[in-house]
Amino acid sequence: MSVNIQVKKIWQEDARTLGILWTTGKKSLIDSVKLREACRCALCVDEWSGESKITPGSIGDDVRPIVVQSVGRYALNVHFTDGHTTGIYTFDYLHEIF
Amino acid sequence: MGIFGKKKPAVSEQQIKEALSQVQDPDLHQDIVSLGFVKKIDFHKGKVSLIVELTTPACPMKEMLRDQCVDVVKAIEGVEDVSIEMTAQTHRARAIPDLVQGALGQVKNIIAVASGKGGVGKSTSAVNLAFALQQKGSKVGLLDADIYGPSIMQMTKVGKPEETKGDFIVPPIFAGVKIISVAMFTEAKQAQLLRGPMVAQIIKQFLTQIDWGELDYLIIDYPPGTGDIQLTLSQIAPITGAVVVTTPQEVALIDVRKAISMFETMKVPVLGVVETMSYFMCPGSEKKHFIFGKNGGRKVADENGVPLLGEIPIEPVVAENSDKGKPVVISDSNALASLAYNHIAGQLAAQQSIVNSQSDRALTHFKLEWV
Repeated sequence: MSVNIQVKKIWQEDARTLGILWTTGKKSLIDSVKLREACRCALCVDEWSGESKITPGSIGDDVRPIVVQSVGRYALNVHFTDGHTTGIYTFDYLHEIF
Repeated sequence: MGIFGKKKPAVSEQQIKEALSQVQDPDLHQDIVSLGFVKKIDFHKGKVSLIVELTTPACPMKEMLRDQCVDVVKAIEGVEDVSIEMTAQTHRARAIPDLVQGALGQVKNIIAVASGKGGVGKSTSAVNLAFALQQKGSKVGLLDADIYGPSIMQMTKVGKPEETKGDFIVPPIFAGVKIISVAMFTEAKQAQLLRGPMVAQIIKQFLTQIDWGELDYLIIDYPPGTGDIQLTLSQIAPITGAVVVTTPQEVALIDVRKAISMFETMKVPVLGVVETMSYFMCPGSEKKHFIFGKNGGRKVADENGVPLLGEIPIEPVVAENSDKGKPVVISDSNALASLAYNHIAGQLAAQQSIVNSQSDRALTHFKLEWV
C-alpha cells in the first residue's frame, strides 16, 4: 500500500480503451471489458472465497464505461453501459493488474 | 564624485534576489526566491522593502526566515535599512469534486483529526488546534463529525446556526472560528440511534450544505475508530491531510496503527501523530510523571515514518476549561498544554505545506465522460 501510486493523467485512448498515467511513471492501457471483468465489488466477488462471480465471457463485448470518476484520493468508480455502477477500483489494484 | 563624495552605490533588484536566494525554507528544502516567496522588492535611498509570502500564516519558521532575510539583505553594500512584510497565501493543490464545490470550493486545506479509539483527547485536540491556527492568523473552520458523541458545542460556547444562504447553512462563529456540530441539529440528551445509511446521509449533508466560505483550514473532528463513517467522510470530502491522536500506552497504539493504515489505504497523507496525556508535572515541580507510559506516540510515528507533531501534558486546566466551553489555547495561553498545541499547530501547517508541494504532480479529482 503506497501513498505514491496516484493518477497523473487519465484519458480515453480509443473507443474501448482507458488510459492512465500513474505517478510512478507506469502507463496502463485498460480494455473496457477487462475492466468490467476485474470489478471487485460485493456483487461481483464471492464474499467468502474472494473469487470473481463473473463467468468468463458473460460480459458483452460492447460494454463500455459511461463515466470514470475519482473516489476520495485512493480509487476510481466506473459506471458501465450494462448498468453496473458499484465498482470501486483502488489505484493500487489497477496499477498492479493492468 | 560630487562634494558629498559619499553617494551610495545603487543596489539592483538582481543583487537583492541573489542575496535572498541564500535563505532556505527548511521544510521545502529550497531557497525562497526559487519558491516564488519573494513578491515585491523596492529600493529607495538605501532602504529596501520586501514582501515575502509564505505558504501558511501559521508557519513556525516565520520569524527565523524574516531574520535571515534581514541579515542577507543588510550585508549588501549600499543597503542601510530593510523592512519586510511577511504575508501568507495557503496553497491549494487540488481540484474540488462537483458534489462539494458549493460548500468546500474555497476551503484550501481539509484536515481530519482522528483516533483509533475513543477517550484519547481527540476532540480536545481538534478544538485547540483549530483555535491555535486561528490565533496565528489563519481562517479556520471546525466540523464536529463525531456523530455518536459530538462534544464541540460543550467545549466551546458556540450557538446554533441562525442564518441560511439559499440551500446552505451559515456556520455560527465562536472566537473567530466557524463551527458546525451534529449536536446543533439534535437534542443534547438524545442518543444517536442511527443505521449506517442514515449516518452516511447526514455526513453527506454536512459536507455539501454548509456555507464555509473562504478558509485556510477546515478541521474535521472524526468519530473514533475506523469504520463506515470514516470511510464516507474520506470518500466525499477532499481531505488534504490527517492527524492521528493517541495516548502513550500500548493498547491505544494498536488502534492508532489501524487509523494510520486506514488513511494510507485512502491515500490521505498522514501529517503526523499527536500524543495526549503524555506526562503530568506536579505544580511547583519540574519532574515529569509518565502516567500512561512513555514515548508511545514517538514509537508509532517512527514505525510509520510520519512526524510526531507534539506531546500534550496532562493539566487539570485543559479539562476544566474545556467543560466550561473555553478551549485552553484561548483561555490560558500560558498553560503548558496551550504552548504544546501552539507548537503542534505550527508543525501541522508546515507538514501540510510540504505535502501540498509534493502532491502537485498527482491528479486528485477527476471525472472522465466516455464518448
